Amino acid sequence: MSLIKLALKNLLRKRIRTALTVCGIAVAVGVLVSLKGFDVGYQNSLQADIDKMGYQLLVTAKGCPYEAATLMLKGGGGLRYMDEAVYARIVSDARIDKITPQLVQTVFDPDKNDGRGGLSLFMGIDPSYLELKPWTHYRSGGWFSAPDAAEVLLGYEAAELEQRVVGDRIFIPGVDEVLTVAGVFERTGTQDDGILFMPLKTVQAMFDLDARLTGIGIKLKDIAQIHAFEEDLYDEPGIQVVSMAQVKGTIMNLVSSARVMTHAIALIAVLVAVIGVVNTVLMSVFERTKEIGVLKALGASRWDIFRVVWLETIVVCVLGGAMGGLLAILATDLVQRAIQRVLPYAPSGDLVLISPALLAAALAGTVAMGLLAGVYPAFRASSTRPVVAIRMGE
Amino acid sequence: MRSALMLLLGLPSALAFSGEARAAVGCTLNDPDRDIRRLFPEATGYRTDFITIDERGGEPLAREIQEKLDDAFDSIFETNDVPYAFYTVLKGTETIGFVHGVNQKGMYGGLQLILATDLEGEILEFYYQKMSSPEVKLFRDKSFTRQFQGLTLADFYDHAFRREGPVAAIRDPSRNSAQDFAATIRGLRKNLILFDAFILGWRHDAHYREVRP
Repeated sequence: MSLIKLALKNLLRKRIRTALTVCGIAVAVGVLVSLKGFDVGYQNSLQADIDKMGYQLLVTAKGCPYEAATLMLKGGGGLRYMDEAVYARIVSDARIDKITPQLVQTVFDPDKNDGRGGLSLFMGIDPSYLELKPWTHYRSGGWFSAPDAAEVLLGYEAAELEQRVVGDRIFIPGVDEVLTVAGVFERTGTQDDGILFMPLKTVQAMFDLDARLTGIGIKLKDIAQIHAFEEDLYDEPGIQVVSMAQVKGTIMNLVSSARVMTHAIALIAVLVAVIGVVNTVLMSVFERTKEIGVLKALGASRWDIFRVVWLETIVVCVLGGAMGGLLAILATDLVQRAIQRVLPYAPSGDLVLISPALLAAALAGTVAMGLLAGVYPAFRASSTRPVVAIRMGE
Repeated sequence: MRSALMLLLGLPSALAFSGEARAAVGCTLNDPDRDIRRLFPEATGYRTDFITIDERGGEPLAREIQEKLDDAFDSIFETNDVPYAFYTVLKGTETIGFVHGVNQKGMYGGLQLILATDLEGEILEFYYQKMSSPEVKLFRDKSFTRQFQGLTLADFYDHAFRREGPVAAIRDPSRNSAQDFAATIRGLRKNLILFDAFILGWRHDAHYREVRP
C-alpha cells in the first residue's frame, strides 16, 4: 500500500474529525484569500475610478479638502469657492494638456427623501470637461445650445431615475428653476452616470456665483512634471492643489486600519486552524500508538512512520486550502457587498479580485502550513519505541 | 466620509442621484422596515418579491396590460424586464396587506407612486415617494392623496372607459401641473393592473370586460 493511500485510510477512520479540521482550514484560508483579493481589487478599482476622472490634479479653494463636503452635508452653505481668475492665470501654462473648470452647487430640497428634505447637488461644466473624458458619448441629444442655456445634461442613471429624455423639462428645487434636457450620456460605469450637469455659466448665474469656481481639473502633458507644477501653484493665493495620487493615498489610509484589523483576525483564524490540525493529527497518533509500534516491529523505519503522519497533515491542509479557495470564489459577491456597506468609500468595479496566482499562492501556503504543522506529530509518532508503543496500546 | 471623498474627487452630484439611481428601474421602498411599519402598524414582518412582465408572460402579457391601461408603455422606461417590487405584509404568518410602487414619467421628473392595499386590492394609503414639481406640496397634501383611499382597480377602469365613478370625481390639486395629475392617475392605474396581474390573478377582469368599450 502506498504511503498516500495509507495516510488517506488513516484520515477516513475518523471522518467527522477530519472533516471538521478540513472545514476549519477552509474557513481560515477562505477569509485570507478574500482579504488578499480585496487588497488587489480595491486598489485596482480605486485606480480605475481615479483614471476615469481624466485628470491628475484638482485645484480647490484653500482649506481642508474634506471640510467643504462635511459642512455641506451638515446642511450649511459651507462650499468654498475660488475666483475664476485663477483658472484664467493657469490655463495657458504650456505644461497643461487638458484643463477644466467646475462649479459644484447644492440646494436644499424640502421634498427630497419623502418630504423630510435633503441636499441636491449640481455640477457646472464647460466643453473642456468632455475633452478630459473622451470615453463619454451621448445616448441622445448633445451639448448645450449656448454657454448660458437653461439646459441640463444627464448621466445615464440620472435620466433613468428622472425618466427624462431630450426635450423634457426638469425642475431644480430650491431655486425653482425649470430647465430643458439637452442630452443624455451613455453609461460610463463611473459616478458621472448619476450626475446632473449644467453649463458653468448657468450655474454661476442661477446661484449668484458670478466668476466663482469650486474646482479645476488638470491633466499634464508629462506626469513627471506633476511636482514642479504643484510647487508653482503654491504661489497662487487662496488655492490648494490635490493630486490624485494623494487622493488615492488618503483613501487607502482610510481603509488601512480596517485592513490591518481584518488581516489580524484572518491570521488568528489561520493560527487556530493550524493548532487544530496539530491537535487532530496528534490525537490520531496517540490513538494509533499500538499500531505504530506494530508497524515498527514489522520493519517500518522512523522515516516511514514520519512520512505517513506528515502526509496525513499535508492532505488535510491541501483539502482545506482547496476548499478555502473555492469558498472565497463563491463568497466573492457576498464579501463585496459587505465591504461596500462597511467602507467609507467604495470605488466602482470589482472590489474583490481572486486571481489564479492568488489561489495558487494560497494552496502553496497551506501546503507549507501542513509541512510545518505536521512536523511535531510526525516526530512523536516516529520516535515511539516499538515495545513501549505495543505495551501502551494494550 | 464617503461623500466627502466624492466631493474631493469632483463627483459630488452623485450624492443627489446615485443612492436612488440604483432603484431607478423598478420602484422599491426607500426604507421598507420604516415604511411598512408606518403603513401597517400591526405588521410583524414582510416578504419582498420582484416580478417582471418577462417572467410572467412576456410580450402577450405586456400587450394585455397596455390594453387595460388604455395607453402604450414608454419604450425606454417601461420595458418588460423592469422588476416590480411587491411587499407582502405579514402579521405573524397571516398576510394582512400589500405595498407596491411604480415609477411614472412626470412633468418635471420621475414620480414614484406607492400604494398600500388590502388583500382584495383596495387602496388603504397612497403617497408620492418621489416627485419633482414646483407644485409638489399640493400633490403631497393629504387632502389630495386621501381621496384615493378605498378605491380599487374597478374604479380606475370606470374612470378610464366610462369617465365616471370616484376617480372621475378627483380634481387636479395643482394650477399648472395637469400633466403630473394625469401621470398620477395613469401610474396608479398601472400599479393596480400590475398588482391584479401578478398577485390577485386578474380578480378585476370581470369588471374590465363589463366596462370596456
